[in-house]
Amino acid sequence: MKKWLFNPFIYIAGTKALIIGWAAMLGAAVIGYYSKTHFDGVLDAHSGHAAPMWFYFEDALVDWSLLVVIFYTAGSIFSRSSIRFIDVAGTFALARWVMIFVAIAGFGVYMPGPNQPVSMEEMMKRVMTGPVIVCGLLSLALVVWMVALMYNAFTTSCNLKGGKAVWSFIIGLIIAEVLSKLILHTIY
Amino acid sequence: MMQKNLPHICPSCSSTLKVKSLVCEKCATEVTGLFSLPLLASLTQQEQDFITDFVISSGSLKIMAQKLGLSYPTVRNLLDDIILKIETNQKNNKTASK
Repeated sequence: MKKWLFNPFIYIAGTKALIIGWAAMLGAAVIGYYSKTHFDGVLDAHSGHAAPMWFYFEDALVDWSLLVVIFYTAGSIFSRSSIRFIDVAGTFALARWVMIFVAIAGFGVYMPGPNQPVSMEEMMKRVMTGPVIVCGLLSLALVVWMVALMYNAFTTSCNLKGGKAVWSFIIGLIIAEVLSKLILHTIY
Repeated sequence: MMQKNLPHICPSCSSTLKVKSLVCEKCATEVTGLFSLPLLASLTQQEQDFITDFVISSGSLKIMAQKLGLSYPTVRNLLDDIILKIETNQKNNKTASK
C-alpha cells in the first residue's frame, strides 16, 4: 500500500501513467476552476482568483512541461541508463494526480481576489477560521506528498540513486519552480 | 529441500573464492585444481533468476515487465543494476589476478 501511495511508478510508467496522470490533471483543473484554485507554479497552489477556465489548463500544461523537460535533461546528463522520454513524461504526470485533492481543499480556503478588495481586518477574520486553517494545512501536506511522488518519479524513470539523485532533484525543482512562475506571470 | 547458495566471497578476508575440486556424483571421481567461478555465480540467486527470465524472454524488457507485473523503467533499472554489479566484479577479478 505504501509503495502504491508513494512510488506507484514501480508498477505504472510510460503511456499508461501519462494517460492516468493527464486525466487527473484535467480533473484538477476543472475542480480548480470551481474552487478558484490555481496551480501557478510547479509547487504552488493558491486560492481566490477567478479566471477563465483555459488559465487552469494552461497552469497544468506549463507546470508539467517544465518538469518533464528539466528532469529529462537532468536524467540524460546524470544517469548511466538509457532513459525514455515517455517514462519521464508519464511518471511526472502521474505524480501530479494529488492536485485533485488540493483543488478540492481549495473550496475551504476561498479568499477574495484582487477585484474584491476587503479590509485587512476582514481578511484576517476570514483566514483565521478553523476550516480555512485545516484546509490550508491539508493543502500543504498534499504538496509535500506530491514532491515525494515527483522525487520517486525522477529516480525511477531516470535510474538515479543517492546524493546525485537528491541534488539533481532539488536543483531541478528550484529551476522548474522559478521558470514556471516567470512563464505563468508573463502569460497572465 | 533447502536451497544452498554458492558462496563466492571468503568469509575470512572477503576475497573472491575459487573452486578447488569438482566431484562426479555417480562414480565419485574427483578433479582437483584451481578454477575460477563463472562471473554469473557471483550474483545472488534472485539476480541469476532475473537473467534466466530475461534470456527466456528473448531479451525483451517489455515482456519481462509484463511477466513480473512491474513497470518498464523498474525492470530496466534492475537490469542496469545487475550490469553495474557484473562490471564491478569483472574489474575486481582483473585487479585480483594481476
